[in-house]
Amino acid sequence: MSTSDEPTITLYTTQTPNGIKISITLEELGLPYKVHKIDLKTDVQKEPWFLALNPNGRIPTLSDTFTDGSPIALFESGAIMQYLVARYDSDHKISYPAHTREFHETNCWLFFQNAGVGPMQGQANHFLRYAPEKIEYGVQRYTNETRRLYGVLDSHLEKTNRPYLVGEKCTIADIACWGWVAAAGWAGVEIEEFPTLKAWEERMAQRPGVEKGRHVPERHGIKDLLKDKAKMERIANESREWVQKGMKEDAERMEREKQREREK
Amino acid sequence: MSKPIILYSHKGGPNPWKVAIILEELGLPYETKFVEFQDMKEGPLIDVNPNGRVPAIEDPNTGVAMFESGAIVEYLVETYDKSNNLTYTSSPEKYLLKSWLHFQMSGQGPYFGQKAWFELYHPEKNLKSAIDRYANEIRRVLGVVDAHLKKQGTEYLVGDKCTYADLAWVPWDMALQFLLGEGAKKVEEELPTYKAWHDRLMARPAVQKIVEERTKANSQ
Repeated sequence: MSTSDEPTITLYTTQTPNGIKISITLEELGLPYKVHKIDLKTDVQKEPWFLALNPNGRIPTLSDTFTDGSPIALFESGAIMQYLVARYDSDHKISYPAHTREFHETNCWLFFQNAGVGPMQGQANHFLRYAPEKIEYGVQRYTNETRRLYGVLDSHLEKTNRPYLVGEKCTIADIACWGWVAAAGWAGVEIEEFPTLKAWEERMAQRPGVEKGRHVPERHGIKDLLKDKAKMERIANESREWVQKGMKEDAERMEREKQREREK
Repeated sequence: MSKPIILYSHKGGPNPWKVAIILEELGLPYETKFVEFQDMKEGPLIDVNPNGRVPAIEDPNTGVAMFESGAIVEYLVETYDKSNNLTYTSSPEKYLLKSWLHFQMSGQGPYFGQKAWFELYHPEKNLKSAIDRYANEIRRVLGVVDAHLKKQGTEYLVGDKCTYADLAWVPWDMALQFLLGEGAKKVEEELPTYKAWHDRLMARPAVQKIVEERTKANSQ
């Protein structure tokens, strides 16, 4: 790390399950960092300066000063977490040493979250909360797949009878899952169906790093929101409007690009 | 290493073939076990992968069992790619590879897969908004790759070396015609830098060998 007081790490984020993975990881590691809130509603993530950091135009994105003094920018929450523990977790607070069995197992669950739980629960949110037309089948398909994946986590925790996904230690795999599991109700999944996973979620929430990291860049309101059905409806309606606006604009932009390509 | 790695696979699914390509590229001996969908919730696969999905591997040389294609690819490269043929040990390249692999795992795989479902398997064929959603996302994701390669002016995603992060994209990209039909050609015309990169990857002997094996497996 730099010797100056200024943190070298900047986290570009917003209040989402993927965003808080990184702030929780940073808090668990006790690393100083700057937070740059990205306002998705005004499409900051599609501006050229941001695309230079993350060509996919998504949060979270993280920039740091590398050991050689040059800047590094990383995207994709899973990759950012792997970077942070490889570079900064030499005491193995939330990771296992490279080449150990536990290290590889952590990666299995990390990818399980990033390629499975995240995308499928995200689709459940879409069809349940944001889609332009109510497609009952879409709601069912993704809510059920999310439930199936929760079942895998629940029975793994029950079978291994350990407090975390990989042994006695909370790792980046647990942190990756937590923000999504804590928001289960938003995707129409009842966490009560999965008692061992629910106990794990509560265990995670007790951790000071999780408590501090979840409120970045602003208050993590989903757990309270899930207790207030009327407010949930209102927020879903507001979100639906701007998600659909964004989808429409994306489609139009692609059409314009195609048109330009044809005119060449 | 002496003993072959066991690869649990499926003839049709793209992700097991991603692992096969890496095994071929690294010249590792392996034995493929095809598992039918109805047998995925049973032993021996379920003991290796609690999610009951392929790919999964068992490596008798290390005693390590793995699931999730992205995690398997990282394991194989970290364990066996001693001369760094498919990876970088230098930074920041080493970490940039992870960004692109994760983007493939969370951005390409799941959305290409959903398009396949709504277009080909779902009993109601008229869910236009769902089909459009995933078709647009395929176009967008490949557009990100195209723009990145164009901007970098490199042959591959990270620098001028073909790595595991490039190869991970191959099986789903190979399915483009299957996913988009007529639209596939249009996407390839609109994204020439992506197309040239994909062709470059397809021309690799290890990729060709897997294409042949997959064709053979599916004709049996």
